[in-house]
Formats: sequence, C-alpha cells, structure tokens
Amino acid sequence: MDNLAALLDGFATVAQPQYLLYALFGVFVGTAVGVLPGIGPAMTIALLLPLTYSLDATAAIIVFAGIYYGGMYGGSTTSILLNTPGESASIVTALEGHKMARLGRGAAALATAAIGSFVAGTIATVALTFVAPVVARWAVQLGEPDYFALMVVAFVTVGALLGSSVSRGLAALALGLFLGLVGTDTLTGQQRFTFGVPSFADGVDVVVVAVGLFAVGEALHVGSRLRHGPVHLVPVERGWRSWMRREDWRRSWKPWLRGTAIGFPVGTIPAGGADVATFLSYATEKKLAGPHRAEFGKGAIEGVAGPESANNAAASGVLVPLLTLGLPTTATAAIIIVAFQSYGIQPGPLLFESQSSLVWALVASLYVGNLMLVVLNLPLVGMWVKVLQIPRHYLYAGILLFGALGSFALNFAPVDVLVLLGVGLLGFVMRRYGYPVAPLVVGMILGPMAEDRLRRSLAISQGDLTTLVASPFAATAYGVMALLLVAGLWLKRRERAAGAVTSGHSSDDTSGHSSDDASGHASDDVSGPASGSEQDAGHDPGSGTRPSHAATSEETNR
Amino acid sequence: MTTPTSVATSPDDGRTALAALRRRPGELVAALGVLALGIFVLVDTRTIVVPGSANTLGPRAFPYLVGALLVGAGITLLVGLARGRHGEEEGGEDVDASVPTDWRTVALLVAVFLAHVLTITTIGWPLAATLLFGGSAIVLGARPWWRALALGLVLAVTVQVVFGGLLGLSLPPGPLFESVAVFRG
Repeated sequence: MDNLAALLDGFATVAQPQYLLYALFGVFVGTAVGVLPGIGPAMTIALLLPLTYSLDATAAIIVFAGIYYGGMYGGSTTSILLNTPGESASIVTALEGHKMARLGRGAAALATAAIGSFVAGTIATVALTFVAPVVARWAVQLGEPDYFALMVVAFVTVGALLGSSVSRGLAALALGLFLGLVGTDTLTGQQRFTFGVPSFADGVDVVVVAVGLFAVGEALHVGSRLRHGPVHLVPVERGWRSWMRREDWRRSWKPWLRGTAIGFPVGTIPAGGADVATFLSYATEKKLAGPHRAEFGKGAIEGVAGPESANNAAASGVLVPLLTLGLPTTATAAIIIVAFQSYGIQPGPLLFESQSSLVWALVASLYVGNLMLVVLNLPLVGMWVKVLQIPRHYLYAGILLFGALGSFALNFAPVDVLVLLGVGLLGFVMRRYGYPVAPLVVGMILGPMAEDRLRRSLAISQGDLTTLVASPFAATAYGVMALLLVAGLWLKRRERAAGAVTSGHSSDDTSGHSSDDASGHASDDVSGPASGSEQDAGHDPGSGTRPSHAATSEETNR
Repeated sequence: MTTPTSVATSPDDGRTALAALRRRPGELVAALGVLALGIFVLVDTRTIVVPGSANTLGPRAFPYLVGALLVGAGITLLVGLARGRHGEEEGGEDVDASVPTDWRTVALLVAVFLAHVLTITTIGWPLAATLLFGGSAIVLGARPWWRALALGLVLAVTVQVVFGGLLGLSLPPGPLFESVAVFRG
C-alpha cells in the first residue's frame, strides 16, 4: 500500500511541467537515436552525461529513462522500414515487419509494434512497481559473497551469451575488467596501470570509453564499408484507416500479452537481455499461430506483435536487477548505473529507502514516457522516415562531432578527446573482428564493484575462500549460472534455427519481389534477417565450415 | 557479415576462404594483442605496491585474475583461429559487407579527428568542430565540399551558443569568436 502511495508521489513529481518536458525530451531523443542507425541509447546516455550535470538528479534520470524506452520504440521503426536492424533485439521484428511493409502493410506493422510496445511497457512497468520493492527488501539480507556471486553470474552470462563467439565475448569482458582496473585502488590508494600518466590516476572515464566504442568505433567501422547511394525505405501508406484492421487487433492482442509474459522475466535474469526474449517470443508465436503459421516468414503480424512486446517488457525487466541490486545486465543498463553514480547515487537494495522519491519518480516517468511514446510514434512516423533518410556522410560526421564534444566537455581537456580516438580505434578493431562491445562496457563498470565485494568478503572471512560459496544464495547463484549457460547456449541454437528458416524464406521472397527494388539493391533485403542468422551460424564451433544455406537447412532439420 | 557475399561464414567456400585468408593477419594481431595485454597485466601487477596495511586480498589479486582471463581468452582465440574459426564482422544498417574494406577512409577519418584534437585550443572549439564535421563528411563522400563545411560551421556555432553560451559549458570560443558574448557562458 505504501508503494502505491509512493508511486502516486512519483506521479505528482513527474506531473510538474518541467519534468513532463524533460520526459518528452527524453522519449523524443530516445526515439530519434533508436531510429537512426549507428547510435543507440547506451551511447546517447553516455554522451548526455557530461552535458546534463547542470540538471538536478531527478530531471536527469527522467531524461535517461525516456531515452532508454524511446530507443526501444525507435528501433522497430527502422527494422520495419529499412530491414537492416541496428540492435540485435529488433532482428526478429525485421523478419516479419519488413515483409509486411513490402506487402503494403507497413503501417499495420508499425502500429502493432508501437501499440504492443505500449501494452508490454505498461504491464511490465506495473510488474516492476510491485516486484522491485519486494526484491529490494529481500536483497537487503544479501551478504558480500552473495553480491560477488551475482556479479560473477552477470559477467559470465554477458560475456558468454552476448555476441556470437564465447571466447571473443570473454576477451572483451577481460578488456573491460582491465580498463576498470586502471587508476587508483580504492582500498589501498595504490596506483595501478596508470603508466605514470596523471590523467589516468582517476581511472579511464566511462563516458570516454562508452562514446569511443559506440560512436567513434561505429563511425570508423561504417566508414570502412559504407553502403553508398541513397537510403532505400519501404514507403508507408498514409491515413489512420490503414493502421490496424479489426483482424489485426484480433491477431495481435494475444501475442502482445504473451510477449510481455516472456519478456519481463527474461529481462530480470542476467541471461542475455532483450534479444533472447524476442527470439523466444518469435518461436512461441510461430508455434501457436495455427492457421496463420504459413504466413510466418512472409509477413505474419503475430511475428511483429509478440517479439516487439517481449523486447519492451524485457527492457523493463532489466530495470529490476539494476534498481534493486545495482546489477547491470546490458550495456545500456551499465551506463545508467554510471549516470546514477555521477549524481552520487548507488543503485542497490537501499535505493528504495534512501532515494525513495527519485526511484518512484523514475517509475512514474516510465508510465508517462510509454504513453508519450505511443502517442508520438504513430502520428510522427512521417518525421521518423525523414530522419532515417539523413545522408549517411552527414549522420556519421555528426556522430563524431557530438562524441568529441561529449568527451571534451568532461574536463575541457583535449587529451580526453585523444583517448576517445584511441578507444574508437579499439572499437573499430573489435567490430571488424567480431568482438562484442557490450561485455567490455559491463566489465569496466561492474569490475571495480566486483573487486570491492570480493576483497570485503575475504576480509570478513579472513582469507577463507570457502566463504564465497558458503551461503546458500551464492551456491544457488553459481548453480543457476551453470544452468543459464547451458540453457543460453541451447537457446542460441534455437535462435539460429529460427533465423535460418526465415532467412531461407526471405531469399525466396526477394527473388519474387525484387522488381520492387528499382535500384538493384535487391541484396539489401536479405541482409537484415540473414545477418542475424549468419552471424550466429558462423560461430558455432564446428559448423562454421559449410556454405550458410546448407548449414541453415541442416539446422532446421535437426 | 551481412550480405550474400558474407556467406563468408563458410571458410570452405573457395571464394570466401580467400577473403578469410585476407582477413587473417588482422585477426591474428587482435588475438595476439589480447594475449600480449594479458602477459603485460600479469607482469606489471608485480610492480603494484602492496602497503603493509593491506587486507587479506591486496591490490594485486584482482589484476592477476584479469591477466589470467586475458591470457586464457587470447590462447583460446589463437587456437580457434588455427582451427579456422573466424570472427564475424559486425553487421549494421549502413555496413555493406560486399565491398572491400576502405582503409583510406579510416585513415583519413582518424587524421581529421587528430587535427580536431590538436586545434581545439588554438583555433577554438567552433572552428575545430567545423573541421571535424566538414572533414569527416567530405571523407565519407559529401559533395560539394563547401556545403559540408558550411553545414559544419552552422552546427558548430549552434552547439557553441547552446552549450557554451546557454548551458555554461566552457568550450573555448577561440580567437575568432573571442569577442562574441553569446559564445561564452
């Protein structure tokens, strides 16, 4: 009951005009960066960090929450209209959504994605409202070894499950842990890996690393293989009537709810975040589609409604461990932790007591932001389409400019911008050779916290290592981790199989429809779904030696 | 690996095996880099001073773990590469996997960025930012060149006024704009 009262207080805070404006700004910017290729919510929040120091904590957190949610909505627009998904979480939307758009049902696909995101986002926020305080109350009893166990679980799942190659994920994680080590040891005051450079004594700034990896690295990578020529978008029919027919509503509402039910729990556990949820939802919808099953791969609305809802519900689910345990399970969540820390707030079980008004304002802003997003998204599709058509040379030049600005604004020292370039080059190399970037960010932010917990655990136990597994919770956590690993690797296989089936369909489809594509860019159409499946397929140790279509059909038969 | 050519996921394919071979040196260097960093971390950790007051676990323990993880990952990567397991280049909306890597563009982008870093304090942020935006847009294919520079100037001045003037970030206006009041916070 006091939770509801606190939530109402939160609404009262958010309802103040200036906070409403901040929320609007957040969802607007978030949708824009979600729509734009090359930038995502993680980078945007990192970039805005130094620029929002003049805001009060509540305003900044509301802006960041808006960006977080907005990015999820924006991504679906891009994958439906452009069919080359930016975040892995929207690959599935592209599978069916782009097919719908090509059949002239783009507006319906956008509408079911937006409304589904709204339904899922709202239900998941309600779940967050009730689940988070319970988890927080329970988490207060956790000891140092328990936290260390949780962090190890997060490391292993993020490192091994995100990205397609386990060894590359772990290498990226270790790189991040190393970057987290640079600086002055908090417990003993000793300098570590500072190379005698004074500006490293405070450590490498997370903002520089995040912006360097996500902005500069991406710009360099895209520059190395820029897709030249105009941007090809599937035109969307105008008018309200074409959004959703009665039939579409009838076919969408169950997938929305099922997607939510799948997405939220998957988001709360550190098991690879939203993409696992979307693939699970896609597989479920396909199984339950009944008479419409044949439409899957050719533009089934269920295949957009379910995964999009799962995507958004998972995004809310991620906030549960983030707010109650201080445990980030995605790169964006890790950056949000940094945002909290920059205001002197440490997310964790005590957050709901010490910063109660801030947390509930944040939760309230999620409700409000969701509402704003569904209202903004559909009528403004035309504008987002324009945003999508920004010439790529200007887009990436702008990304570089704002990346440089954000790093310079940290200390107004050009050396930060130089470090930014160095990290950008690292990001370029990582992208080029298939090292996932997210584990690095998570490792860098979570690493120092984990070291802290480990050393305090062992200080309490006076060096007895068994303390790490002595508590039932920690032991369970390591056990669950083993299970998650097995389940996660199994899911990856499923994903591959699901992606493979559709990529097979898509190439058939392309040959049938390639006349739509006036410019000879027919190959673009396969690229989206294929990218997802091939990325993974190529990585299966052992199966990487067959031509992909042969590989895919084998996967399917299995 | 995005487009059909990226069927390169299959090193068996004659055409793609060649592409894989071409990419091998860089991948090898990346894996060796991971390994080398790991060895460096293990060695350099020994130089971290451990004060007498240190707890059970001093400032060296965690770095040793991280170094070991790096070495382990590096070795696994090298073994994987030797067995022909290659990394999948990351795809993206604007990444065309069918074109060969354009190293010239990458080098020029880096050069433009370096020029920006070196000129911030001398010619001021707005002009250095114009250089960065205009330069990278031209490198990425913006034509005509003067439009890219003009757009860059408009963008840079806008940022300077909004962030420097209104939000109070101390972006150096540089000698040219020093006297303009709205450019300073």
